[in-house]
Amino acid sequence: MSESPAVPALQLTGLVKRFGDNVAVAGIDLVVPAGSFYALVGPNGAGKTTTLSMATGLLRPDAGGVRVHGVDVWADPVAAKAMIGNLADGIRLFDRLTGEQLITYTAMLFGIPRPDIAPRVADLLEMMDLGDAAGTIVADYSAGMTKKVALACALVHAPRLLVLDEPFEAVDPVSAANIEDVLRSYTASGGTVIVSSHSMDLVQRMCDHVAVIAAGRVLAAGTVDDVRAGESLQDRFVALVGGRHISEGPQWLRQS
Amino acid sequence: MVATVLRLRFRILGNTLARRPWQLVGFCFGVLSALWVLVAVVAGLIAVGLLQGPDVARTVAVVGGSALLVGWIVGPLLIAGMETTIDGARLAPFPLTTRQVMAALTATGLTGIPGIVTALGAFATVALWVRWPAAAIASVPASALAVLTCVVATRFMGTLSTGLGGNRRSREVVGTVVLTLLIMSGPIVAGILALLDSTGDLVARFTQAGAILGWTPFGAAWAVPGDIAAGTWLTAAVKFAIAVATLAVIWLLWSRALEASLTSPPQTAARAVRRGTLGLFGRMPTGGVGATWARALTAWVRDPRYLRQLLVVPLFPVLFAFSAGVDSALFTASALAAAFVLSVAGYSDISYDGTAFATVLASGVRGREDRLGRVLAAACIGVPLTLVIAVVTLAVAGRLEHLPAVLGGAWGLLLVGYGVTAVSSALIVTPVAAAGDSPFKSVPGQTFVSGLLVFVVWLACAALATPALVLAAIGVATGSALTGGLALAVGMVVGGGVVVAGVVVGGRTLDRTGPDLLARIKAFPV
Repeated sequence: MSESPAVPALQLTGLVKRFGDNVAVAGIDLVVPAGSFYALVGPNGAGKTTTLSMATGLLRPDAGGVRVHGVDVWADPVAAKAMIGNLADGIRLFDRLTGEQLITYTAMLFGIPRPDIAPRVADLLEMMDLGDAAGTIVADYSAGMTKKVALACALVHAPRLLVLDEPFEAVDPVSAANIEDVLRSYTASGGTVIVSSHSMDLVQRMCDHVAVIAAGRVLAAGTVDDVRAGESLQDRFVALVGGRHISEGPQWLRQS
Repeated sequence: MVATVLRLRFRILGNTLARRPWQLVGFCFGVLSALWVLVAVVAGLIAVGLLQGPDVARTVAVVGGSALLVGWIVGPLLIAGMETTIDGARLAPFPLTTRQVMAALTATGLTGIPGIVTALGAFATVALWVRWPAAAIASVPASALAVLTCVVATRFMGTLSTGLGGNRRSREVVGTVVLTLLIMSGPIVAGILALLDSTGDLVARFTQAGAILGWTPFGAAWAVPGDIAAGTWLTAAVKFAIAVATLAVIWLLWSRALEASLTSPPQTAARAVRRGTLGLFGRMPTGGVGATWARALTAWVRDPRYLRQLLVVPLFPVLFAFSAGVDSALFTASALAAAFVLSVAGYSDISYDGTAFATVLASGVRGREDRLGRVLAAACIGVPLTLVIAVVTLAVAGRLEHLPAVLGGAWGLLLVGYGVTAVSSALIVTPVAAAGDSPFKSVPGQTFVSGLLVFVVWLACAALATPALVLAAIGVATGSALTGGLALAVGMVVGGGVVVAGVVVGGRTLDRTGPDLLARIKAFPV
């Protein structure tokens, strides 16, 4: 993806969101080219989750626009949301359902034809290593399993754009590697992924584009190689965002 | 340590009230009504103390005190909800012994509005015994004992209902069983009173009840001053011992329950079904309507928060039968009361989704599909349940000929309610207990404003159902089969029209308000 195609998979223009006096997102412009594996990184409270919520039609922006493959998310939400697979952070699932029921329910919500549902659900359960837990209520899942079943729900309708907020948080290394493979082949086949993450190593290895945001603004965006400019992404991130301090911690915390 | 926890509790209360003006309004109303009750009670106690003899004073103290304890046990579960800003689970990470946790919880119970009012009211019973100094002196420790028993008992019930040992499923089962027992306790008490009814007039009945209750854990503490006033020191001592033993036993049981709930991990032993068990999700048609239908109906039959609303329904016929008799018009109207409760149960249905509503929102399902799915699910429960109640109550009363009229009123009301709540639930979300929490948990900010909104929803339902209700009433009163049939027809047609309108209007509303509802749900205190 050296050239960005005419219609980006996701285009954010001038997004702003305030919560009372607190400006969570202060004007974000972002172009996610179709077929890219895009990372959104930033310190805690940078506005990543708020931005992704507005991009997927879950949170109404105070200003600005969102287009998914050219469709305005806030003017035509039904058409736009049909193209989006969304793993949101900080929300519950319908966790009284079993994992299998939850994925089936999501497939039904998107109107997947009945004969297609069962095979897709079976594939997703295998892919996420959730086969043994298929009949267990999601409330009884561990944090990592819950993340995986939510990811399965995001994938079930074969969306053109995947918006994943912290997809690898609490997921075990084996499952993470499996999911990574699936996402790679998904983008290779023309799908677009945007993930938020705190793991710079993972972003540097997995993604081709990255945007660094802090305090609700984009500090740098582009291909991973452009943004890191010869340094490691970790060092570049710290240089951009600042706030690193070298210290042994407070005296009272030291044990000897 | 207790002081630290108390400071924490008042700091939380202060922060919550400062941030939520409506809750502050509700809080002020609560304080005012509590003060009003307190003034009335104290005035009554003084009047009895000055004007009546020791027998009346004793009966008042014992019956009133017993009712107070019952209120402390049942009230939080049925009406107010458990206060859980400070509970055992939240104190568990701190290095406190069980005894310290219990002391802290008792202190927070005593210093809430109900605790303060109860304590003041209890000590005001001194006024009953102004003419018997020894009794007046004895009433102080006895009242203290009684108040402590109230607080400890309510905390014990709270521990039982929210966290009795073990896994999620057993908690839910225990919660539902406790609820059923509580709901049935009403009719049982009504039955006992009806039995007593035959034995004499009201005063004699209360005196008799007071004499019995004075020997039970409920009234023993309150009976002590009366016995002293009567000079029967030995019975007074025995009753005091009963009261002390009551408190000790409840304290001991509570400490066991608390230890069990704190040391056993909240979610262990998962119960799994066989893979491929899809339940309703395998049967409903695919698409927004079918998906919502399947999920909402699953919630109606499995989620304790919905079951709690269903469990009230069989209560009406039983209560009406006891209070007014099976021949009464009230009993005939049982199905209507049931229909009313069932239809308005979902007035803020999306609240029960919690933040999981984001799944619905992210799918881009159209508002009208969501509304229709929810109405269908509610109707799958409500329509047959009202039918059963109508048929059973009318058969018991021997008036099955009124079935069309009663069904017309009941189904008319039910359908109208579904239509109105299809709109209201696209506008209103209220803080409710989260999925998997105890359905008895009180949620801050719940009572006052949601009470007002519920009232508006009720008015809308009543207004729209008027034609069917009036025809049904005329049909029952005149016994005219024609009017009864007309009531059924009008109820179904008007109700059907309101449901269609509700789905369309509510659907459009939800398309517009969906993201705002989610934002409001996220902002609720957890």
